Amino acid sequence: MDFVILSLVMMGIGIYGLLTNRQLLKVFISIELIAIAATLNFVMLVSSAGQGLGQAFLILAFSTDTAVSGVVLALLVIVTKKYGTSNINDILTMHEKRESEAEEYGDA
Amino acid sequence: MILEILSIGLIVSACLALFLDEVVYSVAALSGTFLFTALLYYVNGAIYAAIFQFVVGVGTLAILFLSGEMLSDKSRKKTSPKKLSALIGVGLVLSLPAIFLSISSSKGVYSNASFGGALWHLSGVDVILQALVILTVALGIAIILYEQKKGGK
Repeated sequence: MDFVILSLVMMGIGIYGLLTNRQLLKVFISIELIAIAATLNFVMLVSSAGQGLGQAFLILAFSTDTAVSGVVLALLVIVTKKYGTSNINDILTMHEKRESEAEEYGDA
Repeated sequence: MILEILSIGLIVSACLALFLDEVVYSVAALSGTFLFTALLYYVNGAIYAAIFQFVVGVGTLAILFLSGEMLSDKSRKKTSPKKLSALIGVGLVLSLPAIFLSISSSKGVYSNASFGGALWHLSGVDVILQALVILTVALGIAIILYEQKKGGK
């Protein structure tokens, strides 16, 4: 049983999901999985070394991760409310259309 | 034995969280991922980390359930049983390397080492992981440039 390989597999799953999923919430779940992989690797290293300081660092990492999750989720809700969809391709298309329309009106 | 069961559950629930069609079921599978991670920490003796993982996981999941209900399309198709069993099978296969392979040279090397010494012993793995991160970033930039070029045509 090797936890470095386990966290590598978890990170691989997260990166694959990040590259292939087009739904914003799935992208967020992929980022969460990558964060879990990183903290898993760190916790297993710390518990092998028997250092209590590592767990203190880890609690800091958890706090940062949670704060980032809150900000990202707020952004997701704003973007979905603004464009009416949570698909990245549709959002990009709508954004480009709005920009071109704004340029046309700016020229005129 | 319990570590192997927990790692299989972790990988399978991660696969389900990413590739199920219904967002609410994905969030439910992600709750399994958080739970298995906290149990892994607890079994390995990192009790504070397990408690924090559990608390943070519960908070994140509550918000994710709410936003998942709000953001998901109601008319989406459901996951077929064939796809579900395929996802579980892929998760089982992906958990095999973690159970049967090992990249550690000898067990118990870090038990009496200082934190700096343990990091020094893991420097080779660290270089490989950094290379992986740089490779991933380069791949991401290449995909973004390709998409921009494709969109420009």
